[in-house]
Amino acid sequence: MSTLLQLQDVSVSFGGFKAVRDLSLDIKKGELRCLIGPNGAGKTTALDLICGKVQPTGGQIRLGDVNVTDMEDYEIARAGIGRKFQIPSVFKQLTVRENLEVADCRNTGVFWNFFHAPGGSERSLEELAEFVGLKDHLDEPAEYLSHGQTQWLEIALLLAQDADLILLDEPTAGMTAQETRKTAEICLQLRGKHTIIVVEHDMGFVKEIGDVISVMHQGQLLAEGSVAEIEKDKKVREVYLGTSGISHA
Amino acid sequence: MATTVNFMKSKMKTKTIMQIAVYAAVCLAILLLPLYAQDDFLLNRIARYLVLAMVAMALSLSWGYAGILNLGQAMSFGIGSYCMAMALKLRTVPVHTGTEGLPDFMVWNNVETLPWFWKPFYSMPFALLAGLLIPALIACILGWFMFRGRVTGVFVAIITLAAMIVLSLLIIDQQQYTGGFNGITDLAQLELFGIVFDAYSSNTYFLVAISLTVCLFLALALTKTKGGLILQAIRDQESRVRYFGYDVALYQTAVFGVSAAIAGLAGMLYTVVMEFASPTFLSVQLSLSIVIWCAVGGRQSLLGAMLGAILVAGMQGALSESEVFLESWTLIMGGLFVLIVLFLPNGLASLVDIAAERFRRRQHDATTQDEPAPSAELSEGKL
Ligand SMILES: Nc1ncnc2c1ncn2[C@@H]1O[C@H](COP(=O)(O)OP(=O)(O)O)[C@@H](O)[C@H]1O
Ligand SMILES: [Mg+2]
Repeated sequence: MSTLLQLQDVSVSFGGFKAVRDLSLDIKKGELRCLIGPNGAGKTTALDLICGKVQPTGGQIRLGDVNVTDMEDYEIARAGIGRKFQIPSVFKQLTVRENLEVADCRNTGVFWNFFHAPGGSERSLEELAEFVGLKDHLDEPAEYLSHGQTQWLEIALLLAQDADLILLDEPTAGMTAQETRKTAEICLQLRGKHTIIVVEHDMGFVKEIGDVISVMHQGQLLAEGSVAEIEKDKKVREVYLGTSGISHA
Repeated sequence: MATTVNFMKSKMKTKTIMQIAVYAAVCLAILLLPLYAQDDFLLNRIARYLVLAMVAMALSLSWGYAGILNLGQAMSFGIGSYCMAMALKLRTVPVHTGTEGLPDFMVWNNVETLPWFWKPFYSMPFALLAGLLIPALIACILGWFMFRGRVTGVFVAIITLAAMIVLSLLIIDQQQYTGGFNGITDLAQLELFGIVFDAYSSNTYFLVAISLTVCLFLALALTKTKGGLILQAIRDQESRVRYFGYDVALYQTAVFGVSAAIAGLAGMLYTVVMEFASPTFLSVQLSLSIVIWCAVGGRQSLLGAMLGAILVAGMQGALSESEVFLESWTLIMGGLFVLIVLFLPNGLASLVDIAAERFRRRQHDATTQDEPAPSAELSEGKL
């Protein structure tokens, strides 16, 4: 399969501190990649680099044939990258339905949008809400949703956006075991149609969904491979030393 | 399930229909007012409040809907009012100083020829367009730089305020061309399509009332578009909107420009109603007043902001007329403002929402007693 996303020796430093150094990743079209690593390893920063929130100080990022390294964040989004942030960020005063309508961003033009009513694809947005169990909350402002529901809304927003590449930063944080399983299920359903990078701490979750796992440590790529390979990897064990292996990371 | 969805959908639609009905009712009341108030002085004063309501509504569009606190709203207003005043002043030239003459204040300032930027204002259509488009253009240029640079919050407030102060100082300084402190006074009456708009006539009142109605509904329509929704999303979480691929700066610039155009139109009407233009129309005090009207009425409601302006400006007018309150109305207004900000952060308009919510709950309680299986449980189980 062809490569969708390619990072070549990407680095970034914040005031001299190298949060990510010489990171190279190769993500195939349709792949579901897990990115793990201890706190502060630079996983969130890696996603920030990909979606243009942070400008790299070195290296190159390519999405398909497009060099997105120096593009503005909204241009990168248009090129086909969607992002879920670690801290839930939805539009609080808008209803669930309105949130989904904003996320339906096939047409981003100012003039078009000021001359069209929202709700071009009402039906499918409602199906989406049903898919994540928010159908009965469609007309509630997002600020009244529980933490778990907000996470679900975020996932629905990503589905509505329908980006080629989806970046998920700790999507199961604060979820119950049952909800985590449902998130894993959604990820599995998305694989193939979308390419996904998930940053996750929950090893159960990673084992359930991961094909290839990339492990980061101190801003660098430490290891890459299947779940079994990673669990055997010496360096990875060292990093997670004292926590009796990555299963409890 | 399908029926619930249809019910929800119809509920949303009903909400919009209700909103349109309330907006229309208020506009109708405003339009019918001259039937009951035939005193020309009273009509003139109310027309003045309606013009101020229009600026407040314009601010609600940028502040309430897009989160852009424009402390220089009076700049657009002032530019509009000067555009109208220049056009109306030129019409007095033949009467005051002869056909080849100049506006009287220029003669007093020993100006020999009409400056180039006055000349186009011989044409009334040009003046009308300028009053709309110059504020919009300035706002777009200013907005472009601010929003491209991702300036937000209090810095937008400071920049817009500073821009307004610069312009007002310029106007005061260039007395020979602008009338300086005194502004442009002694104007001709506006005449459009053969109708004369005497400030103290129902003609002018209707001109203002109709303009307000049209602008209100245009603004309402704008908020109902997908773009309006995107603006509100920008207000709630600006950076998130970018990651959907929307060019946030363009949306902000657009609404900033539209808001300025409405304020410019209001400014033109203000000149017609007040029969002069003055640097006080671009003052910090007016700009802050507009913010207060908006906050009191409810910045997230176009109608709320409008009624807030009528209410507060009207009270101000009434109170400052009586001996007792002449000195203390500022205090009363300040107190009112603080109370509202503390207890009703979304202004008086939120009273309607609170009442509607109460009503909905009561109805909901009544229906759930008959229907023992709330669907919330079902959806929880699905997770
Ligand atoms: N904007 C920033 N400025 C300074 N330091 C930062 C910034 N963003 C991240 N860092 C630092 O970079 C390191 C990696 O952070 P992060 O990518 O959030 O780690 P992870 O998501 O793997 O837990 C941390 O030490 C963090 O303090
Ligand atoms: Mg992180």
